[in-house]
Amino acid sequence: MPTGSAKFKRAAYDAALSSSAPVVRDDAPIWEVTLWPNRSLGPVGLRNTMLIAALGFALPVIPFVWAGAYWVLLPFVFVALSGLWLAFKMNNRHGQLREHIGLWPDLIAVERHELNGEIKRWQANPYWLRIKFLKSGGPVDNYLTLIGSDREIELGAFLSPEERTALKSQIETHIHRLDINA
Amino acid sequence: MANAATHDHDSHARPGFFTRWFMSTNHKDIGILYLFTAAAVGFISVSLTVYMRMELMNPGVQYMCEEGARLFTQAEIGECTPNGHLWNVMITYHGILMMFFVVIPALFGGFGNYFMPLMIGAPDMAFPRLNNLSYWLYVCGTALGIASLFAPGGDGQMGSGVGWVLYPPLSTIEAGYSMDLAIFAVHVSGASSILGAINMITTFLNMRAPGMTLHKTPLFAWSIFVTAFLILLSLPVLAGAITMLLTDRNFGTTFFDPSGGGDPVLYMHLLWFFGHPEVYMIILPGFGIISHVIATFSKKPIFGYLPMVYAMVAIGVLGFVVWAHHMYTVGLSTTQQSYFMLATMVIAVPTGVKVFSWIATMWGGSISFKTPMLWAMGFLFLFTVGGVTGVVLSQAALDRAYHNTYYVVAHFHYVMSLGAVFCIFAGIYYWIGKMSGRQYPEWAGKLHFWMMFIGANLTFFPQHFLGRNGMPRRYLDYPEQFATWNYVSSIGAFISFASFVFFIGVMVYTLRWGKKVTEPAYWGEHAETLEWTLPNPPPEHTFETLPKQADWDKGGH
Repeated sequence: MPTGSAKFKRAAYDAALSSSAPVVRDDAPIWEVTLWPNRSLGPVGLRNTMLIAALGFALPVIPFVWAGAYWVLLPFVFVALSGLWLAFKMNNRHGQLREHIGLWPDLIAVERHELNGEIKRWQANPYWLRIKFLKSGGPVDNYLTLIGSDREIELGAFLSPEERTALKSQIETHIHRLDINA
Repeated sequence: MANAATHDHDSHARPGFFTRWFMSTNHKDIGILYLFTAAAVGFISVSLTVYMRMELMNPGVQYMCEEGARLFTQAEIGECTPNGHLWNVMITYHGILMMFFVVIPALFGGFGNYFMPLMIGAPDMAFPRLNNLSYWLYVCGTALGIASLFAPGGDGQMGSGVGWVLYPPLSTIEAGYSMDLAIFAVHVSGASSILGAINMITTFLNMRAPGMTLHKTPLFAWSIFVTAFLILLSLPVLAGAITMLLTDRNFGTTFFDPSGGGDPVLYMHLLWFFGHPEVYMIILPGFGIISHVIATFSKKPIFGYLPMVYAMVAIGVLGFVVWAHHMYTVGLSTTQQSYFMLATMVIAVPTGVKVFSWIATMWGGSISFKTPMLWAMGFLFLFTVGGVTGVVLSQAALDRAYHNTYYVVAHFHYVMSLGAVFCIFAGIYYWIGKMSGRQYPEWAGKLHFWMMFIGANLTFFPQHFLGRNGMPRRYLDYPEQFATWNYVSSIGAFISFASFVFFIGVMVYTLRWGKKVTEPAYWGEHAETLEWTLPNPPPEHTFETLPKQADWDKGGH
């Protein structure tokens, strides 16, 4: 354990575990939850935003048509406008991320649906589960991780810090309620 | 699986200095970086003005001599040849640094980055790494700007003396590569601003907490959003204009050269199409801060939230259609002039909505005169004074007499030096406890306010008189008839500078030894935005619990 100097380490990537088969069980989970990054602007909002931006960009271009200088402005305007559009597209794409937690009396399983379609899985016995919560000093404030099956995984890094706090207390509540002798 | 990046156990280890401050993608850290960098550049820019006011303190030239610039000893009569280039360099770099590298980075980059995502309940900016890129492009632009100050320029001396507006033909014939560096500086800072604006717009529109509709979003977040849109729409025009300037200088094009079919007035149109929205980009985030400060210290919610929002939007929209009031005397037709004059006066309406809403917020409130409130009220009074002289200057007929006089200098310093800068200070005193966990000594904040308030007024109010008496701006020297008010103005500038130095001392004290604040809403319950409630979880979440029968059917625990 390094002491003194601050050290971060990414836990070693465990290929075997991540490609493990999905949990197939007959009994329904006691508790399950899906996490996703929030996106507040719908397709209509995006369309309106781009419309307003395009109109706004027309404003400087049109008056300068008479001066013949508009073609110098066009590339810059084009870059800015397409940059805005691209930003929304990428942001919405990042919003496709999903994390799914399922809890059974003897199993906790997490599935993470990556943007590239890959599904990463992790599972552990809730009895041995450790929940780690770093208010500060982690990659994000209120950094939430679960430790089990020799791996440490992060949960909801895309949520807001307050939401991670709430998520942690929910996980704790449900785990404490588990009847381990069931 | 997303493996965790975490450190060992519960030690309060932090990322190393380099990792935290150079590779940061955290919106709060980047906001702080913006604030510190803007403060450093601001100090340079303010120092230039002190030198200018030293020179203008008395008629004749005492410091800026061809024989060598002096700082501490005045030249005797006869041993000093006026160095106009040095003077021009001073006004140019004061303008460029303040416009591009101080006020917008502090308000938009600093407070915007730090508090906008917090206020809307977003986890971070939409593109944290792009945010980091924006900051470093800004630093890069600043470095180019400062380098330009020391690079070979016109008149066989260092730096360019063309004014921050970079008007051709002066800027196309300015010798040396200093001018080219200045253009690159503006280009790079423009790229930084556009990237920052796209990031802010995406964050504001797409990452608001569930349930926070646009009409519930706090005013400061709104002001940052409107500013971001102004930046996005106008910066490409500036980029186009200075690109043409660059090719005119280096590749023999003649966009702005009549001998080749170009037109220097075209540049003025392009520049002011950007330049007028620019002044609103400077002041709008300030409006946002002032709204929160006034509501907090009047212990009342802001009066007329929706009109306040739409007033900002209206100011933003109108800002794009009034640009030629900066150039009434370039040969616009009377019809054009009347349009721009009327459009300009219309801006007084949304601005009036804001000013009266702030007053109405204070009306009947229980006002506590803490330092941030003092700055806000100082802003309110002085911005109104600057606004009134603005209405005067908007008159095309009066502008014939006032243009290029100190009246204009007084006007725009009242709205920007006393407007935007007071907003920055209001924001710093309002939020420093939130940002650093330590509180400033109240007496020191108040002393800083009164020094700055008196100093800045003493500096700029007499400049109205000088302008009305016909003293032109951008000159190194003046006839002795203007001596009295110039003397007073210089004294005011020294007091303001002293207050700035004192402020730096207050900040150092606060950050190192200031009293710790642990209470989240240390200004009382009327500071209502999300950043004041941080430890409390909000009612709605971006995750969804799917209840199972086992949840409620467990029985007996």
